Amino acid sequence: MRVTQNITNSNFIRYINQHAENLLKTQRQIASQKRINKSSDDPIGMGQVLGYRTNLAATDQYQENIEQGKTRLEFNEATLELASDLVNTARRLAADYSGSTLSVGERQSVAFQVKGLYDQVMQMANSKFNGNYIFSGHATDTAPFSHVGDFNAAYNGDDGKLRIMVSDNVEVNIVADGRNIFQNAANGGVNIFDELKNLIDGLENPDPVAGSAQIKATINPLQDGRDQINSRRSENAPVLYRLQATDEYLTNLRPKVEEAMAKLEQADITKAVVELQNLELAYETTIATAGRIIQPSLLDFLR
Amino acid sequence: MTTIPGLLSIGSKALMAQQKGINVTGNNIANVNTPGYSRQRLNMSSDVPIMTGNGLMGSGVTANKVERVYQRFLGVQINNETQSLGQWEAHKDALERVEMIFDESGGYGLNQVMSEFWNAWQDLTNNPSGSVERTVLVAKSEMLTATFSKNYEDLQKIQRDIDWNIEGAVAEINRLSENMVDLNQKIIQVESGGHMANDYRDQRDLVLKELSELIDIDSFEDANGGVTVSVGSGQALVEGTHTYKLSTQVNASGHQDVTWVDSSGNTLIINNNISKGKLKGWLDARDVDIENSLNKLDTLAQNLMTEVNSLHATGYGLDGSTGNDFFTGTASAAGIQVNALIANDINLISAADGIDKPGDNGNAIAIANLQEALTMNGNTATFSAYYDSMVSDAGLAVQQATSYYDHQSQMVLQVENYRESISGVSIDEEAVNLIKYQNAYQAAAKLITTADEMMETVLAMI
Repeated sequence: MRVTQNITNSNFIRYINQHAENLLKTQRQIASQKRINKSSDDPIGMGQVLGYRTNLAATDQYQENIEQGKTRLEFNEATLELASDLVNTARRLAADYSGSTLSVGERQSVAFQVKGLYDQVMQMANSKFNGNYIFSGHATDTAPFSHVGDFNAAYNGDDGKLRIMVSDNVEVNIVADGRNIFQNAANGGVNIFDELKNLIDGLENPDPVAGSAQIKATINPLQDGRDQINSRRSENAPVLYRLQATDEYLTNLRPKVEEAMAKLEQADITKAVVELQNLELAYETTIATAGRIIQPSLLDFLR
Repeated sequence: MTTIPGLLSIGSKALMAQQKGINVTGNNIANVNTPGYSRQRLNMSSDVPIMTGNGLMGSGVTANKVERVYQRFLGVQINNETQSLGQWEAHKDALERVEMIFDESGGYGLNQVMSEFWNAWQDLTNNPSGSVERTVLVAKSEMLTATFSKNYEDLQKIQRDIDWNIEGAVAEINRLSENMVDLNQKIIQVESGGHMANDYRDQRDLVLKELSELIDIDSFEDANGGVTVSVGSGQALVEGTHTYKLSTQVNASGHQDVTWVDSSGNTLIINNNISKGKLKGWLDARDVDIENSLNKLDTLAQNLMTEVNSLHATGYGLDGSTGNDFFTGTASAAGIQVNALIANDINLISAADGIDKPGDNGNAIAIANLQEALTMNGNTATFSAYYDSMVSDAGLAVQQATSYYDHQSQMVLQVENYRESISGVSIDEEAVNLIKYQNAYQAAAKLITTADEMMETVLAMI
């Protein structure tokens, strides 16, 4: 085949371009530490990487939700613990001062104490978390309990639950219905506020004998009321457990997803550097050959 | 005859012939880097012999034609392969620009913006009456709609740039046709006198190649040496010494159509009849690939808007209102907007399932769950899966166009090398020829000197 300078030249240009392009591509991988710098580097891989990214972002969010749920439960627990203690104190007062031989003055001062306990229990029931009432169901802007008249408590909230998204289409509910905890007489439980009111009434009853009977009548209900609160507290335990278990699952899942993503996306730097060296060698030998071949011609040798 | 003047005549004819040979060699050397040049050769033959007393005796050399070393079929092949090369080059370049728009490798594309949008809804479920959460949700939603429009507009910009390229190519085609006509005229003129118009033919072949890169053409040479070029489904571009023009006109979608203008000024749209060349690559990228991507973006935006709005309207805002759309505007990627009423009053965001329930996050949960719902592709894919496959597809298209382009440019190189090996100038070869003709010239000069000396000897005898 007849070979002219133009053939040699254009072939060399093409080879050099190819080598330079490969070098550029490998350089980019090393600089960005990524194997996939454009979708066309690995289209299917790119699609998968995007899927993993969405996954990770969602996982982070679920864990954030769970975290808030746990904090809320802890707050619930602390609040109800206090409330339970207050009701217990009231019960003890009832037990201690149920005798009919107390003086009016003594009974007045105990009544005063119990009134204080009543307000404190109501205060606990009306706790706020993050600006929202926690025992008002969905009516989080309305205090769940209020005095109607003297020590007649009314519930102003509803029975809504706090719903937490913990996973794809999976929710965990936290009970937020204050009635459930403090005024559950309708379901065979105890209306704590009413019992406290009864205690106050008994202590303030001018007739000591009738008053004493009233007081005695509140001792067991108050005990049941305290148990009711603790019962609600313990119902939160499985919820907390579920939140923690899901959190742990997500925490374990994350590195696996990250690893899968890294396998697809990350450049193997060692491999890339070795390849870079190979390409450099190829490039240099090509241009060295070019230098030797395209220069000489017959004219150099004619006299 | 065998006279001294006869000798002189042989010598002078030889001188002139060898000199022409050097001329042709010189022309070849000068044109070694001229694109499209085919090396020329001087055809020499021995002159008509003369009958003498001793039988036929030769009467020297005569230079015949200067002929072009050229294989016609190679020219046709080169043009064909160049047509495909132009097509894939233009297609690949346009697709690479589309790929850049969907560049998610840095991380701030539609994939991330959509994730943040859904996460903002989830944050709202944790505190449905919270003004911080609501404000953030509005901000993330506005980023989402802005990203949609930006991607859409960027794609449209590529389409407009392609329109520019098409207009430029059409102008170039017209210029090349004019060139062609000019060359046709010159060739016809020269060859009607019986000579070969080698250089003009080379230039005309080059024009044909440049035309092939832009648009697929059919060409054939007629009897008097002129070339007819036709495009599309047979519309003539160049007919001997007459040329027709191509033009562009704006079509219903606002883009340029390629038209052919006949002798009465009527235009014929030839988009569908162009099958190769850069014009085809550009038209395909603009009307098929990019349109496809635009439609998919629209579908994504539309479905998102519909799904979110239909849930949002059934919920209740903090102010008790219901039936509000979350997104307004036309249901398209460019038109989707966050409802201005909501942007001005975040209480309208309906997180609740019931009225006057600030702690109710039911509707917000329902909307947040849309992230994983199968809402696209006939209920088989999520929003993000749909988008992710768009990104994949863009990459696949580039991969494919690149591999066609690489393959094709290898083909073109090979065919051109083959042509070059037949018609190309080799400096070494021409150097040898130079010496060849120079020696012959010197020998012929010596012949004349010898004849001259013989004449002098004869004259001295008188």
